[in-house]
Amino acid sequence: MGKGRYLLKRLIYIVFVFFIISILMFAIYKCMPGDPVDIMLGDSKTSMKPDAYQALYDQTYQRLGLDKPMPVQYLSWMGNMLTGNFGYSTQYKKEVIQIISSPMTNTILLNLFTMFVVFLISIPLGIVTAVRKNGVFDKVVQVVTIVGYSIPSFIIALLAIFTFAVKIPIFPISGLKTAGMDAGGVQGALDMAWHMVLPVLVMSVSGIGGITRYVRASMIDVLRMDYIKTDRAKGLREKTVIYIHAFRNALIPVVTITTWWIIGLFGGSIVIESVFLIPGLGKMLIDSLMQRDFAVVLTMQMFYVVLSLAGNVLMDIAYTLVDPRVRLEN
Amino acid sequence: MLNKKKRAPRRSTASKAAQRMVMGGLPQEEEEVLQSPLQMVVRSFIHDKIAVTGLTLFVVIFLCCVILPFFFPIDLYYQDVTQANVAPGFNMLSVPSKLANNAEQLSVGSTFSVGLDKDGNVYEWGTFPTDKLKNIPSNEETGKLTMISAGLDHVVAVNENGQIFTWGNNRMGLESVPMELRTGGNKIKQIAAGYQISLALTEDGEMYNWGSQYLVNITYPEGVQGNIDKFATSTNIVMALTKDGEVVPLTNKSSAYTNIPEEIQGNVVDLALTDESAAAVTSDGKVYTWGNNIKKTMNVPEEIQGQVASISGGRYHYTAILNDGTLYSWGDNTHGQASAPSVGEKISEVDAGYYANYAISESGKVTSWGLKGYLMGTDAFGRDVFRRLLVGGRMTMTVGAIAVIISSIIGIMIGGISGYKGGKVDNLLMRLAEIVSSIPFLPFCIILSSILGNSISETQRIILIMCILGLLSWPGIARLVRGSVLAEREQEFVTAARALGVKEFGIIFRHILPNIVTVIIVNATLDFATCMLTESSLSFIGFGVNEPNATWGNMLTGAQNGQVIENYWWRWVFPASVLGICTISINCIGDGLRDAIDPKSKER
Repeated sequence: MGKGRYLLKRLIYIVFVFFIISILMFAIYKCMPGDPVDIMLGDSKTSMKPDAYQALYDQTYQRLGLDKPMPVQYLSWMGNMLTGNFGYSTQYKKEVIQIISSPMTNTILLNLFTMFVVFLISIPLGIVTAVRKNGVFDKVVQVVTIVGYSIPSFIIALLAIFTFAVKIPIFPISGLKTAGMDAGGVQGALDMAWHMVLPVLVMSVSGIGGITRYVRASMIDVLRMDYIKTDRAKGLREKTVIYIHAFRNALIPVVTITTWWIIGLFGGSIVIESVFLIPGLGKMLIDSLMQRDFAVVLTMQMFYVVLSLAGNVLMDIAYTLVDPRVRLEN
Repeated sequence: MLNKKKRAPRRSTASKAAQRMVMGGLPQEEEEVLQSPLQMVVRSFIHDKIAVTGLTLFVVIFLCCVILPFFFPIDLYYQDVTQANVAPGFNMLSVPSKLANNAEQLSVGSTFSVGLDKDGNVYEWGTFPTDKLKNIPSNEETGKLTMISAGLDHVVAVNENGQIFTWGNNRMGLESVPMELRTGGNKIKQIAAGYQISLALTEDGEMYNWGSQYLVNITYPEGVQGNIDKFATSTNIVMALTKDGEVVPLTNKSSAYTNIPEEIQGNVVDLALTDESAAAVTSDGKVYTWGNNIKKTMNVPEEIQGQVASISGGRYHYTAILNDGTLYSWGDNTHGQASAPSVGEKISEVDAGYYANYAISESGKVTSWGLKGYLMGTDAFGRDVFRRLLVGGRMTMTVGAIAVIISSIIGIMIGGISGYKGGKVDNLLMRLAEIVSSIPFLPFCIILSSILGNSISETQRIILIMCILGLLSWPGIARLVRGSVLAEREQEFVTAARALGVKEFGIIFRHILPNIVTVIIVNATLDFATCMLTESSLSFIGFGVNEPNATWGNMLTGAQNGQVIENYWWRWVFPASVLGICTISINCIGDGLRDAIDPKSKER
């Protein structure tokens, strides 16, 4: 089976998974408290005569398709979701699609920065510790990383705020913008970057802890292989052996872990966003849940599901890139 | 390597025991050689220093959380603003040595105390709610002070000339002492600093009050002013005892306090108030109480009836001096404030306030009992951080453990069946696992707990959290079990069992499972840490276990702003470090176990 067919098969499978999860989400949507018609009509219940309101209610009820059987409702809901018609936010008094772009940018930026930092640090660190296995440096890194991935991110956030925002006030405590500042361009970007330093730092800690350990473990496994001995026997330079021959093979298990980590990262950023009051998707999700603005909640959930599935697709692509042996066997 | 050579062929403990019974015990040397895999695991585990340290730490924390709540009971619904944000320390009852044998008067404030010695010098000790309390007026300014009283965050004192001084919190009108009291000349009989209010009574029976009227609104019924003999105050009400021995509430609202028993009117000699009830001593030495019987303040011990001389009230307890000069306390005993010590000497005066008591004997010696302080301080609602930490730990660990048990059971069932059956069943179950693990974990937990948790009680909500965590985290264990079962099912003992006609279910769970139980234990240990982390993250952002139930996560919720982080460090440092230590040690134990079970992984 070729790579193309393999990918296609995975893609079809993921679409299938998406529909299963979307049924689950539809169930959640149906479980949500409150009458959707009442929510949609909003204040008119108090301002209109009961008869007229009942008529309007029935009309809206039919317009929303609530009188149709469940499968039909599901299909129309799904259609709306797929075409970007996420509904109306009662909290912001706007269509959901209009309000999610800015928080989405913030969250994605935050997570991309974090990924960048984590990979920049953890991969070289993992390789170096694997090569100098059981040395002093390795031992220290082992201890530090186990602490790093064991401590919950919000505790690291509290510590970071205490150290870098309260005791040595070099970074802002919260937000993404200096209050009252309205500068665009370079200055605005710098201001945002300055605000993002602490959140990114905090989110990186557990990622660095986990991924360093994985890279190290899989590098050690690979370095024990016979072909590495062959490489060395051939007289290849040690750098070539490690970074070209060993590392590429060590990447295979790392890819799986990294995908799960990235998906978890977006979920975990909910906590960090709420600690640092970053106007991102996570904070929006929490605010909307508090305000019972379910259209937004469901859109957020959809985003996380799509992200998670996209992560799966990317993982498959990455597999085919790093490991030419990949075939879908069963 | 040496271990491997010694390792005997797999043999169950039962067969070993049978063998020993037949052969009458094996020589010592043989015992060494016959090491079961479990023994080997234990042996190599205890050689792993990090893992053993982790295990010790975890066991200590676990035992503390399980055992200590019996010694430090907690009322989860209890809140007390007067004890809010108290720093850790045990100096609330440390009476200065100069004062301890020469005391004129002592008074208990919210978290601090003041005292006057016989020469009129002022002493202050304890944890101060505001730094303004340290601005004690100098001796030249005040002259010889004769009476002193401490309140929530201010102090009132009187000198020989009847001049009143006040320091500490100066907002809400506490500073504006009435002019006639400032200049002196009145003979002051009693003063009290209360909750944002100050009171003074002259020998002529005139009462003065200043400060905030918001919490305690004082109205004088007709004919009472000029006829007051004594008064008592709590955070809710002020009551007066007239010179005719009648109890008069100084309020126009009726409450549990105003249901004064008719039979005592005209016969009362002393009066005291707690936050929930009032008590009066009649001339025949009996104590009558009325109000709400919360925290047993109205359970007056029978044996003292008829012998009581005077009485004093704290927040939820009373202390009485009997006719023979001994002390007796009853009511809430959370901080030992109702365990009056027996003093050799005759007691001349006692002051009960908030959660502590001071008694002065005739020679001027001070005895104190009650709240000494808080080991880890208190939070914004005045709750003891240490006690909440203990029950919070119990909750966090329970939620984590049950979630792991749920996920392990599901994981073992699905993994076992899937691995043993193979084929279509395997494919289906593994796809299911993949779907479940594709669900974004934290957002899903948040939404579920918020939507489903809306209409149910707090206990059901905690169960819901456990179930959500358990139901979403089984795919990891399922994959692991499936892999191990796949490897084991080709072994000969499985073929033998099958040949003997053992049912499939029996083969999977009674023959294969014991062989892979170590792998499951390691994974469950690591999962336990993850579940604890998830639970505390959920509780931290307010979607897990909610107040008033404590968990390590929701104890940190209040510490999210810079001000708390900077000023009230004890509110986040303790829960954060315990949670951190706990998860680190569980991860260390898990790693150590893995290394012990799989010697190959140690080479990494």
